[in-house]
Amino acid sequence: MRLCVAALAALVVACNGGLGPAPAPTSCPKNFTGICGTLTIRGATPESTDVVYVVAYQTFPQSRGDLFSYTPLVPPTISLADTTYFYTLPVPNGRYEWVLAVWKKQGMLTIANADSLLREAGYYKRSDADTSRFGAGIVVVNSIGTDSIDFVVDFTNMHPVSFYFPAAAAVRE
Amino acid sequence: MKRLWVVLSLLPVTLSGQANGVVYGSVRDTAGRPIAMALVRVQGKMLETRADSRGQYRLAAVPSGPQVLRAGMIGYGFVNDSVIVPPDDSLLHDFTLRLEHVELSPPFILGPIFVTAGKRQQSLEDVVASVALVTDSAIARRAANTIDEAVDRAPGVQFLNGQVNIRGSTGYVQGLGARVLLLVDGVPTNQGDRGGATWDLVPIDNVERVEVVKGAGSALYGSAALGGVINLITRAIPDDAHARVRVLGGGFAGPPHDVWKFRDYTGIEGGVDVTASWGRDPFHGAVSAGTRHSDGYRQQDQRDHWQIAGKGQYRLDPVTRLDVSGTWASDQYQVPVSWCVRGQCDDRGQAYQPFMVDTAGLGDHTRSDKGYVTAIVSREASSTLSWLGRGSWFRTDFTDYLRPKGEFAVADRVGGEIRAVARPDRKRTVTVGAEVTLSDVTSDIFGAHTEADYAAYGEGEHHLGAARLTTGARIDFLAVDGGGLTAVVSPRVGAVLPAGRGVWRASLGRGFRAPSLAERFVSTYVSGIRVVPNPTLGPEEAWTVEVGHARGFADDRARVDAAVFWTEARHLIEPSINTALVQIQFQNLARARLAGLDLSLSATSLLPHLSATLAYTFLYARELAHDTTPTRPLAFRPRHLLTLDADYALGAVSVGAALRYSSRFERVELYETDPRVAAKVVDLHAGWTRGPLAAHLLVSNALNYIYNLVPRTLEPVRKLTVAVTWTY
Repeated sequence: MRLCVAALAALVVACNGGLGPAPAPTSCPKNFTGICGTLTIRGATPESTDVVYVVAYQTFPQSRGDLFSYTPLVPPTISLADTTYFYTLPVPNGRYEWVLAVWKKQGMLTIANADSLLREAGYYKRSDADTSRFGAGIVVVNSIGTDSIDFVVDFTNMHPVSFYFPAAAAVRE
Repeated sequence: MKRLWVVLSLLPVTLSGQANGVVYGSVRDTAGRPIAMALVRVQGKMLETRADSRGQYRLAAVPSGPQVLRAGMIGYGFVNDSVIVPPDDSLLHDFTLRLEHVELSPPFILGPIFVTAGKRQQSLEDVVASVALVTDSAIARRAANTIDEAVDRAPGVQFLNGQVNIRGSTGYVQGLGARVLLLVDGVPTNQGDRGGATWDLVPIDNVERVEVVKGAGSALYGSAALGGVINLITRAIPDDAHARVRVLGGGFAGPPHDVWKFRDYTGIEGGVDVTASWGRDPFHGAVSAGTRHSDGYRQQDQRDHWQIAGKGQYRLDPVTRLDVSGTWASDQYQVPVSWCVRGQCDDRGQAYQPFMVDTAGLGDHTRSDKGYVTAIVSREASSTLSWLGRGSWFRTDFTDYLRPKGEFAVADRVGGEIRAVARPDRKRTVTVGAEVTLSDVTSDIFGAHTEADYAAYGEGEHHLGAARLTTGARIDFLAVDGGGLTAVVSPRVGAVLPAGRGVWRASLGRGFRAPSLAERFVSTYVSGIRVVPNPTLGPEEAWTVEVGHARGFADDRARVDAAVFWTEARHLIEPSINTALVQIQFQNLARARLAGLDLSLSATSLLPHLSATLAYTFLYARELAHDTTPTRPLAFRPRHLLTLDADYALGAVSVGAALRYSSRFERVELYETDPRVAAKVVDLHAGWTRGPLAAHLLVSNALNYIYNLVPRTLEPVRKLTVAVTWTY
């Protein structure tokens, strides 16, 4: 009988450790590899909003065709319920030239309609004085979470694909 | 001359002037209790019947003279008795079977049950591949609602969100790319469009046993048998009038943490299956109908199912039989695509809510109808020759009601096969056959396409001293949309060598899987990325080698079966993302290596009334680079898979527990950084039988262990189920 009770107790202990509640992070989680930071959300959320993604590019895209070479393949979405949002972007080790928020309008996305459905809604800059076109904020990930990559998502100042790649300049579409 | 031979072989034996007799009696265990559904057959003839609930059987039209009668029941072993059947008279003959408390694939005990591994009846010790068995008593004990719930506990088998893996064969590709062939009474039933298995096609209460053949089986079965074959064998129809009612009800536990709470009521499930049958030579028939409802254990997880099925058997003469069966099932179910992560629902400050879905997916649901009809003519032409011919039609029709755009597909799979098994002498057995499969689909995402597979196969077994050598091959000619034929050859060699109380077995075989019409022609969008067709997609292939040993100990009250296996796969079909063209396409990409160890231990009666089984699979699964250098782990494969099962039976009451452990996947796709854990699931069960009534209680996932196997898809939580079966 004791053996049975001991075996049952061992079984219960062994079968502990499943998934449990995980409060939304406020800093880069332990054992996380990627980019983290706080987004500050400005402006009213457009009614036609489908979703807002955070993505990263290792090199700034050189054409419209490069727009889909972002990381990660399935990017995280952000909640627009509050004025700030702490994001975690799981990406492999490396150097990232462009970390940005992408606003997507409701509708089925294709290459052809990307200009009308996608907007750049904000990106990481090293400082507010940075006036370069896509920011000079290089982010390096080296086996741990790179924290404090904070930037502003501004729904009053979004830019379509054609802002960066006018139709005439679409070289590898 | 050949035509004359065929005509003569078709003539009923009774025309030769031989008189018949009737054999009747009972089948009981050593305590004198009747064994319902025990199989009694006349060896060498196609005469068989099942004992009724009182253990009574009756065999009519048995050729007079010396005959060998064989009675058996899974879990009880079998006996052979020689009798002399009087002409135009009856013979009373009773059987007594010894109880064996074994459910899963112990060697030797189960007798010549297996029909899948060699497309003919074989004793377990004659099978060159590893096999596992799930009996109807195991299914009843699990109080399972669907076949996959029951088969999921078989050694080396794991289901990932409905997709079956045998020794890690398939991984997970959202319903596509099944590398296991599903048979119903030997008839292939993988879907015509996606190639996947439909687990709710057959009412679970109609299933007598499930045979699982591990490793490449394409030498006999062709495409899809790359990783193994699963055969659902339905119950034989006993003599006289019988009925069977199974009522099942239960409820799901809520989330173990308040912050995950998603509803204010207890989710329930329930269902009923009714089967009625009547049999008297030469006709036996059965019809069944059933329905079930489940609230599900998470948000947007309701499911309703309706089903009717029928089966008929007509004995044309003592050695020729026509079997006709069919089923139709309809499901309507909500689709909890993936659980909610922060910002996609009322997340309550959590990084993820495993019981909730993304609000963007609320309202998604599917209607799925499917049905099949099949007819099989089989004949024991002589003591040295038997043959069968079959035709089948399997249809699936699903509509996904998704936002922003739904999808639909209607697919057919029409098949035909002729097969002959010859035993020219006691040392040789030859199986030959030809098979045709025609598939078509009409869909808004797969288009309108057809695929044809013409195949011929042969396998011979030869006794060489104590050893049995098996060699065989199959050639498949594949054509898509009426185009040119692609030939695929799948050879297999194997050997079985008895050694003392044990048996050694070894096999080497090649398997392949032709791409499904869905993989070739899918055209849709996933996460905003276009998925484009690849009409030039070719078959994927694999070589599997296996060496196994089975042995009994302690007067065969303990058994061990161990096998090491090694699979080298090439041209595996996987979705490939082209970032330059911004599209996804299925391509023949990966090479892979899956190697490991399958170990099965069983013990019966070592301690009074106690039986136990242990099954362990160690799996090394790696993608290979262009050479043979392992690179990264194959996604969705556990390194360790362990099942422990113990039962204590005392009279009409039994209690037991089972543990299922699957180690944390080394790699998953899409959401690699999501939290994931090992699966550690404990089930408790109890059963009670009295006369025609049987009740089973199951508490599955008794510790309410919260885990997922497929990313962002919660596995079932604790569920209490009671199933009551009444048999007349």
